[in-house]
Amino acid sequence: MTTQAPAPTGSSRSLMQFALRLREAGVLVFLIVLGLTFTLLSPQFLTVQNLTVVASSASILAIAACAQAIVLFTKNLDVSVGSIMGMVAYLTADYAANHPGITPVELVVIPLVIGGGLGCINGLLVALGKVPALIATLGTMSLYRGATYIYAHGQEVTSSRLPHWMLSSVDARLAGFPVIVLVAAVIVALVGWWLSAFPLGRRIYAVGSNQVAAWFFGLRTERVIVFAYVACGFLCGVAGLLYAARVGTVTVVLATGWEMSSLAAAVIGGVSVSGGSGTVVGAALGAVVLATIDNGLVLMGVPEFWRMFIQGCAIVAAVAVDAMIATGIRRSLGRQRRG
Amino acid sequence: MDTEVGAVAPKDDAPLLSLRGIAKFFGPVNALEDVSFDIYPGRVHGLVGENGAGKSTLVKIITGLEQPNAGTVILDGAAVQFGNPIEARENGVAAVYQDPKLFPHLTVAENIAMGAYPRTAIGSVNRRAMEDNARRLLARLGSELDVRALVAGLSVAEHQFIEIARALAYDLKLLILDEPTSALTPSEAERLFAVVRQLRDHGTAVVLITHRLEEIELMSDDITVLRDRRHIATLPARAFTRDKLVQMMVGRPLESLFTAPTHRQIGREVLSVSNLGLAGVFSDISFTLRAGEVVGMGGLVGAGRSEIAKTVFGITPPTAGEVCLDGSVIAPKSPRQMLAAGLAYLPEDRDRDGLVMAETITHNITLPILKRLSRLSVIDRGRERTTAATAAETYRVRMASIEAAVASLSGGNRQKVAFAKWLGTNPKALILDEPTHGIDIGSKAQVHEMIAQLADQGLAVLVISSDLPELLAVSDRILVIAEGALVAEIPRAEASQEKVMAAAAQKVERKRA
Repeated sequence: MTTQAPAPTGSSRSLMQFALRLREAGVLVFLIVLGLTFTLLSPQFLTVQNLTVVASSASILAIAACAQAIVLFTKNLDVSVGSIMGMVAYLTADYAANHPGITPVELVVIPLVIGGGLGCINGLLVALGKVPALIATLGTMSLYRGATYIYAHGQEVTSSRLPHWMLSSVDARLAGFPVIVLVAAVIVALVGWWLSAFPLGRRIYAVGSNQVAAWFFGLRTERVIVFAYVACGFLCGVAGLLYAARVGTVTVVLATGWEMSSLAAAVIGGVSVSGGSGTVVGAALGAVVLATIDNGLVLMGVPEFWRMFIQGCAIVAAVAVDAMIATGIRRSLGRQRRG
Repeated sequence: MDTEVGAVAPKDDAPLLSLRGIAKFFGPVNALEDVSFDIYPGRVHGLVGENGAGKSTLVKIITGLEQPNAGTVILDGAAVQFGNPIEARENGVAAVYQDPKLFPHLTVAENIAMGAYPRTAIGSVNRRAMEDNARRLLARLGSELDVRALVAGLSVAEHQFIEIARALAYDLKLLILDEPTSALTPSEAERLFAVVRQLRDHGTAVVLITHRLEEIELMSDDITVLRDRRHIATLPARAFTRDKLVQMMVGRPLESLFTAPTHRQIGREVLSVSNLGLAGVFSDISFTLRAGEVVGMGGLVGAGRSEIAKTVFGITPPTAGEVCLDGSVIAPKSPRQMLAAGLAYLPEDRDRDGLVMAETITHNITLPILKRLSRLSVIDRGRERTTAATAAETYRVRMASIEAAVASLSGGNRQKVAFAKWLGTNPKALILDEPTHGIDIGSKAQVHEMIAQLADQGLAVLVISSDLPELLAVSDRILVIAEGALVAEIPRAEASQEKVMAAAAQKVERKRA
């Protein structure tokens, strides 16, 4: 029996399904086109050495973009990502400098706890305090950064005071691959799997997909949102630690502006700012796109100030595509309602 | 109030769900007062009432979306108070709402399984089990939807089936269907009812809310009537005739406060709408408004009345037909253009669409006519204040000062400010969308009086209202809209609540866009 009602229009329906499902593929295609362009324009681009550089520089941003994406899925955002990374990096480095006997386990646990805690504050403000996400995290962005300044008293933690193994392990290679790239890849894959395969992950998408439906269904939206922010803070903790280890000398301004880069990477990677849609793999690919643009422009000798302009173009294009898809969905939902 | 509970001998079984003295108020507004009735297993219970009778609030209370302020819900002999719909579902109580509420970015199977995912050994979602289950549930409804498809872009009927499949996923004791067929074709509705009968025969209690009285007659074993947020009667279906049902739904006495319209001088045609249509929403709407005439527009919530008004006013441009205003044919494209042509529209949700709440009364009233009040683009403050003060006085706005924020006024006074605002533009025709919605009875009478005065001054007025007594009291002529079509035009002399209700509840041959 095929008495199913005709869809609004056959083509708009399949187009929407296609657009939603294949956004990451779109990013990948864009990345390949970008790569080919740079290969043609600069002979150094397509070399193992250069690609390793691109991957390494993309990996920390990939984790931060992943963190941002989780919050974006719930139709919120977090502009304190950079401040959380900075605070985590400084406090962890400071602790490591003052406790020379620090174990690797401590070094991993401390940033996770701090990051998760700061994320939790954001989540409580947004979900329970009902403060709009932009305002709440704009506030904590200054707050966390300010707290770091106060604690640091203008001092930086120099690389000579950090344990040697901490610095060398991020630059190490495993079977020719930089460890930092492998770490990022594993984290992104795990988070992506968790979001797609576990009930809580599905609920994160559900809350952002349709808040009215979530309410009518009885989902505990607040909990889901707090959890998303905690997960975001956690990943920022990891990113902050890797960043600190990579640069060696940790200053109070570490990762300033990363809230925007993470947002840009996520959006370029097909994560919708209107919630419910996208993947962390896409967000990570977005980070690779940004790193590739940076690298390619440097190789071509394009002046630094063009970088921001071109990055901006990529963001605007990605947001435009996102808005088109979001409008389509809204229209398909609106079709039901008359009243 | 002629409450007829207990007029029939009780059924053999114990009731599955009993409501005892349920009351709910939102602030000072009563949403439900003292509602008590029983729902029995293995029976379909029709729940009827006009718009705003309290049906939806009752459903929300039963499923735990809202908590009652008084009264108890008794399920299987024990008092229950569900904290949220998940708890209700776990206890076998589920509701399917009028507009399906699904997650567009998730797949069909994920939507159906939401909240009760089958798990694997490590706690992740067992996709195969989830998809098989979804397929099985949809098959019961005769649907062969691809369970891996995303919900975004599916049709309303498909949404509806997904919602029902989701309710079936639990061990159901009570299924509540709130207007389940409003978006379905007749054959889809028939399939749905087959499932309802099947559930009923297995001992599930079904509460069916629908405006289509023939469906109530066809499906119900018992019928409960709510009116004005009160319980009127619960009786076996055979105790009702269509006439009795309609009369119970609308049978309140006319409030004496309503002024009967004086016999006015009805003049030339001011607004004429011909074959107006908006794809998928309404079609082939034609009517005229004459100077000095008040035309009422009745129909059920969701029939498309506000959409028609918004289209005429240019908010959503039509896909067919045309509008003729004061002799010139216009294709409505924007409110600005329609306003300039001499049409004003007071939206239903005046707080959101009609007024700037945080601004002063003065600024609200003069907003549409700032151009007229300014010289060389600079607003003449003095003239602005006097214009606003005069208008506020004319419409008898009760306020602390003309500089008070609109947000500080009561609903009725806000409506008067909205009147003052739009009438300042000197329109020739005026559309009022639910002008007394949510305002107290005293202000209501004043609004009615104002409408009459405006018509006396030669304005053509279209009043959209779900309040039947109001519609009868203010209109010279009543248009009835059902499911996006103009189904009746009733002159004042022949109009009665029953007649309007019967026209509004009729089934319209559905045209798919």
